[in-house]
Amino acid sequence: MRKYLFIFKSEVMSNLQYVFNIITSFIGYFLILFVLLNLWKYMYSDPSQVINGYTMNQMVWYVVVTEILWGSLGGRSLSKKICSDVRSGNIAYNMNKPYSYIGYCLSSHLGSLAIRFILYTVLGMLVGFMFLGSFPTLNILSVLCILITGILATIISTLLITSIGLLSFFIEDAHPFYWLYSKVILVLGTIFPIEYFPKVIQPILNYSPVYVVSYGPAKLFVDFNYNSFISIILAQIIYIFIAYTICNFMYKKGVKNLNVNGG
Amino acid sequence: MAIIEVKNLSKTFKVKLKEKGLKGSLKSIIKPKYKSVKAVKNISFEVEKGEMIAFIGPNGAGKSTTIKMLTGILYPDKGDIKVMGIDPKKERKKLAYEIGTVFGQKEQLWTHLTPYDNFKFFGAIYDIPESRVEKKIAELAMLFELDEFINTPVRNLSLGQRIRCEIVASLIHEPKVLFLDEPTIGLDPVVKENIRTLIKRMNKEYKTTVFLTSHDVGDIEKLCKRVIIINNGGIVLDDSMENLKYHYLNKKIVEAKMRERVNLEDEDGITILKDKGYNLKIEVDLEKRSVSDAIKLLNPDNIVDINISNTPLENIISDIYKNENKDDE
Amino acid sequence: MLMEVKNQFKISFLSVKYALMREMLNKTTFITNVLFMILNNASFIVQWIVLFSLKDNVGGYTFDQVMLLWGISAGTYGVSHFFFSNSYHLSELINNGKLDSFLVQPKNVLLSVITTDVTTSALGDIIYGYLMVLIFGLTPLNLLLFTVFSILGGITLTCISIILNSLSFWFSKTDVIADTGNNMMTNFANYPDGIFKGGIKLMFFTILPVAFVNHIPVQLLTKFNLGLFLIVVLVTIIFIILAFTIFYKGLKRYSSSNLMVARI
Repeated sequence: MRKYLFIFKSEVMSNLQYVFNIITSFIGYFLILFVLLNLWKYMYSDPSQVINGYTMNQMVWYVVVTEILWGSLGGRSLSKKICSDVRSGNIAYNMNKPYSYIGYCLSSHLGSLAIRFILYTVLGMLVGFMFLGSFPTLNILSVLCILITGILATIISTLLITSIGLLSFFIEDAHPFYWLYSKVILVLGTIFPIEYFPKVIQPILNYSPVYVVSYGPAKLFVDFNYNSFISIILAQIIYIFIAYTICNFMYKKGVKNLNVNGG
Repeated sequence: MAIIEVKNLSKTFKVKLKEKGLKGSLKSIIKPKYKSVKAVKNISFEVEKGEMIAFIGPNGAGKSTTIKMLTGILYPDKGDIKVMGIDPKKERKKLAYEIGTVFGQKEQLWTHLTPYDNFKFFGAIYDIPESRVEKKIAELAMLFELDEFINTPVRNLSLGQRIRCEIVASLIHEPKVLFLDEPTIGLDPVVKENIRTLIKRMNKEYKTTVFLTSHDVGDIEKLCKRVIIINNGGIVLDDSMENLKYHYLNKKIVEAKMRERVNLEDEDGITILKDKGYNLKIEVDLEKRSVSDAIKLLNPDNIVDINISNTPLENIISDIYKNENKDDE
Repeated sequence: MLMEVKNQFKISFLSVKYALMREMLNKTTFITNVLFMILNNASFIVQWIVLFSLKDNVGGYTFDQVMLLWGISAGTYGVSHFFFSNSYHLSELINNGKLDSFLVQPKNVLLSVITTDVTTSALGDIIYGYLMVLIFGLTPLNLLLFTVFSILGGITLTCISIILNSLSFWFSKTDVIADTGNNMMTNFANYPDGIFKGGIKLMFFTILPVAFVNHIPVQLLTKFNLGLFLIVVLVTIIFIILAFTIFYKGLKRYSSSNLMVARI
């Protein structure tokens, strides 16, 4: 475990120099939020109105949180990195090292996004407060709970994207699959809460990654209660377990393939 | 009449100073500090029609800056330039029709197209009618021996073949002056030689004036009759290659391996370059002493092996740079 | 003069053609790029279906009009990024001294620079734009108008990018400003103007001219009005003049200047 912490730490250190870039990339986040704020102000004819169980403030905060999770993830570069690792054969160098490749990917990617995650969270909260003038009512314990689900959501996303990247072992170009994944999360997971979609597809969404990587933490932030916290965190733990197993399985299978075919 | 006239040309760059660290970069955004660097200092020269001239100097001497000013890419701070009577600053476009440029490190060709298609593209850039372009391409392809690969995409060509194509591309519009900036950079000796021969042939055929910058002494020695040496922004030497050689070939290098130790000291006309007891390297100034004087000093009976040679041009030039630097201090 | 203009267009056209040929070397990548951009745009239809399930009109637009708005946005973005792709990388070219090779050619520097590259996926945007018109507002006039608006708006977007990127002639590290500005144009382009209020709306008619690039054209696709149409044309011309003036002012600095250390 210590070596993974070390990988994590050195990634964090080397990313410190990009703070300026992160802050400028936040401008894009700000713009999206500004547009969505206007959209919801328009959609809600008066602030007390409730649509699909959400007030206007809740809707805006929901987007603030989902966009933080998405914006700080950097999934594209992760998927690209793993694809190129596999295709260039770099991955072979990792085989005889005394760590698991999946563990390495996870710790190094989490390290590289840590600073962005913190900055986006702080700045995102500020922007939300600036737009709405108040925070949802939360106590320290619930904030802590939400933070945990947020971190778990990021871990799950990282593992899922890693597994997509590992598809490169078996197909020519895994990038379209990442693209597909990102569209699903963006369209079904970040703009609206699950309750906004037709009743028929809601159960499907509840079992999909959308529930654990974006809906869960955001829903808790706008409407916290311990029952939903427990069901979300349970779902997240199950997802981590499944995603990790898939990654490991794919990696082992892929390496075997590589050995047989000689890369 | 001179085809290139340069009078009292000067160019100063303002260089932004950056302090180290995050604090430094923040500071440089808010209140940048500048340092003036005189890249070219008051230089004047003329180039005659049909001449091949070498413009050489160490890195940062002002070569590129000068060539950029001559081609209209950079404007001078002071001084006058006339290339074929055209002021590059005022009539950049008009000048462009008259000159050709090859920058060895920057490629102007589309790499996925064949040389032939590239040449046609350049023909269009210079508004040359289709029929004339084709004739010109055929002619240049023969001169530069491109026939083998004129229909192969540029990305599949070797570096030497590419540079030949670059040169041809810059000749499509029949420029009167050709600027070659480091044309043989990164090429192997055989290919270099080949390129030089072709440039020479081109100069003979079309009487194109060639303005060449290079680090490679071979380029200069083989191609040019005249050389301008620039260092620290100023012209250090502007002379014919013959004079340059003659002036410096007055010196011979004598390297000898001795059976016994000899003790020599510098004398008028004789400089000891290296003295390792049994191995000696002496420079003889022929204006003052003869080679036989030097051999006598060594005691001919004791010589195991001897080698007498000219100073290589490379050394001559670096000597000139060094002397210039000394004067500066 | 006329000959000169004709030759200039010939060169720009050839440049785009050659750049496209380069992109098409790898057919699979080329086709996936185009296809995925179409799907990408289409995926946002979900968002609007949900929004229109809450209200019959959003910001004064019907569902069909929003789809036309997306069509116009995709069309203008596509034209700009396909034909004038390099106008989005000008800043980098200026900073790295890469305008040199264009300066020794007897052609218009700006036009030559911006047409030497294409963005493949932008073709997908153009196709998506036409698909939207075909499905949500097909008349012969609309097809023609859509083409005209895509070209006019595409040129305006390009001009904005040129103006913003030209800041690099004067200041360093302005690529962030350029990217943000271009980003804003696309962000606001995809939403009905009716959802915005106050000062921001004023910006749509001035420094962020999405009104002329996107909103008014959609209005004209629904109901044509010659006066408004001419205003759109006029705005485009103004931006062209601005872009050329500012770029050439900057280019003079590039040539006389002193700030480009890397170029010595």
